[in-house]
Amino acid sequence: MADLSLELCGVKLKNPIIAASGTFGFGREFDELYDIGQIGGISVKGLSLKPRTGNPPSRIAETPSGMLNSVGLQNPGVRSFIDNDLPWLLTKDVAVIANITGTTMDEYCQMAQVLAPTGVHMLEMNISCPNVHEGGVAFGVKPESVYAITKAVKAESRQPLIVKLTPNVADITENALAAQEAGADAISMINTLTGIAVDVNKRRMILHNNTGGLSGPAVRPVALHMVWQSAKKVSIPIIGMGGIETGEDAAAFMLCGAQAVMVGTANFTDPFACPRIVKELDAYCEKQGVKNAQELVGTLQEY
Amino acid sequence: MMRDMDARVLACEPLAEGLTRLILYAPEIASSAKPGQFVQMLVPDNAHVLRRPISLMAYDPQAGTMTLAIQPKGRGTELICSLKAGQTVRVLGPLGTGFDAGEAKKVYFAGGGVGVAPICCAMDAFANEHARAFFGFRSAAYAYGMTQAPCAVTAVSDDGTLGEKALVTKPLLAAIHAKKPDLIMACGPAPMLAAVQKIALELDIPCQLSLEERMGCGIGACLGCNVKIVAPDGSWCYKRVCKDGPVFDAKEVAMHG
Ligand SMILES: Cc1cc2nc3c(=O)[nH]c(=O)nc-3n(C[C@H](O)[C@H](O)[C@H](O)COP(=O)(O)OP(=O)(O)OC[C@H]3O[C@@H](n4cnc5c(N)ncnc54)[C@H](O)[C@@H]3O)c2cc1C
Ligand SMILES: Cc1cc2nc3c(=O)[nH]c(=O)nc-3n(C[C@H](O)[C@H](O)[C@H](O)COP(=O)(O)O)c2cc1C
Ligand code: FES
Repeated sequence: MADLSLELCGVKLKNPIIAASGTFGFGREFDELYDIGQIGGISVKGLSLKPRTGNPPSRIAETPSGMLNSVGLQNPGVRSFIDNDLPWLLTKDVAVIANITGTTMDEYCQMAQVLAPTGVHMLEMNISCPNVHEGGVAFGVKPESVYAITKAVKAESRQPLIVKLTPNVADITENALAAQEAGADAISMINTLTGIAVDVNKRRMILHNNTGGLSGPAVRPVALHMVWQSAKKVSIPIIGMGGIETGEDAAAFMLCGAQAVMVGTANFTDPFACPRIVKELDAYCEKQGVKNAQELVGTLQEY
Repeated sequence: MMRDMDARVLACEPLAEGLTRLILYAPEIASSAKPGQFVQMLVPDNAHVLRRPISLMAYDPQAGTMTLAIQPKGRGTELICSLKAGQTVRVLGPLGTGFDAGEAKKVYFAGGGVGVAPICCAMDAFANEHARAFFGFRSAAYAYGMTQAPCAVTAVSDDGTLGEKALVTKPLLAAIHAKKPDLIMACGPAPMLAAVQKIALELDIPCQLSLEERMGCGIGACLGCNVKIVAPDGSWCYKRVCKDGPVFDAKEVAMHG
């Protein structure tokens, strides 16, 4: 048994496997299948200040080795989460990451304030959702706006602040740097890549929102590249994600410089993906003679 | 309780034109299944990230088996339908709510095409001597589910090769006018469900519709499979087809948009 534990921005995680926002709800459904306390953390479904209904159906399309989604941040609002879901989640011995999203800078700041007195362990600021028209992505594209919103929200946060970056930009490393300079405690990457799916028989879009966000193994090489590039530029921790399906995939992200990883789409292919990846990462470490999984971080041999 | 398991294929054989019957040995799933529930099947090629939702056509807790009727539509269902006896396939289930007869004594069943499969399951559980069933198929070659039906079945077809050339709502409506049922259970293509819903609402008959939507997780976590639900006061919200459904009260479902 290798030691998989780590301290991420001062928060102890029993392993570096975190369920990715939007694919795991608030954990209740997966807890019917296995004890979610087996995984390191859960980033909950994206929360907004007010409840949101999200986009009309259809919201899902399968694509080669991946999928598109346009859920559009349907959620009951941050206060409902705090009252109805958080107390239960906090009994689960798993790090709870509140994924927050807003349409104005003020909304993000208010959410950080509302969450400040709660038991949430970390905040993940989603400034990269491609599925809401007036959504946070407006803040996530230009380094100046990444800097401005990170600075403002950090000032209101009591918990460590993770900034989640979009890959739909010219140079993601500039945004990673901007987040770090503004005081982010960590960055997570990548959110989904914008795409569309076409029903040729009906000659129409499959997604009612027209566009959706691509995730799953199809994006993994792109995500690995972006983590690798960003790890060279920033010194704050990186949480890597994009198409992780196995313990070896998780290890690849760690070799590229991620301290922890998030698992999204794989939860749909295999509802036991997260605990399985924990076991597989352990087996990988053992095979490699690695005692502590954190020894892997950033040790990729390059040409 | 839902389980994710490798189910052994006992049989994979043609059931009708364009329809394959898959019999799986899955005792943990069969033992807690209810009519109207479905399973999420992994496409057996390691290349498709999303599972395929398939309704139960029958289940036998004693034998530990469940029967599915699958229409090869795209690559996923094609690969599932080409499974061979003895192979295994990963299935998660049973999922969703089911049909529920409650106090109803006289139930009318309406099924269209591949939607006849879950209706067969509901008939096995809820049909009595007062029950009537109405099936619609493309043509006689596509028909199934009638020989072992536990109540009288009236079948119609699009081309007149089986029964009357009509939509399934025609004999259903005629039967309702002859004798009003306490409840209608229906599954089929969206236009058929919309027509059944209209009849049920106009004639004030309780009615349960089994819906389809594209799914991510299949267990209620991703909010990928939404359907618009309207309250009596006109307010609306989205519910999850996989967890709050797939069976919904016809009074609350907005079939269009
Ligand atoms: C609750 C429920 C029960 C169902 N029961 C049955 C059944 O008993 N027998 C049967 O033959 N079919 C059933 N279906 C439809 C079946 O799930 C689809 O035909 C199947 O997913 C298509 O997959 P594919 O790879 O062949 O097609 P593709 O078109 O290649 O699939 C691409 C993607 O779209 C999804 N998709 C496409 N059509 C549908 C659809 N109509 N509903 C949901 N997702 C869809 C697929 O799951 C996949 O993710 C059911 C659907 C639902 C929601
Ligand atoms: C159905 C679905 C919903 C998602 N919702 C959110 C969300 O609410 N907030 C967020 O920050 N990311 C959301 N994401 C993005 C994921 O958290 C993750 O960044 C992305 O899917 C890449 O990881 P993966 O390839 O492992 O899925 C969502 C992804 C999917 C598939
Ligand atoms: S498919 Fe995920 S909530 Fe229904």
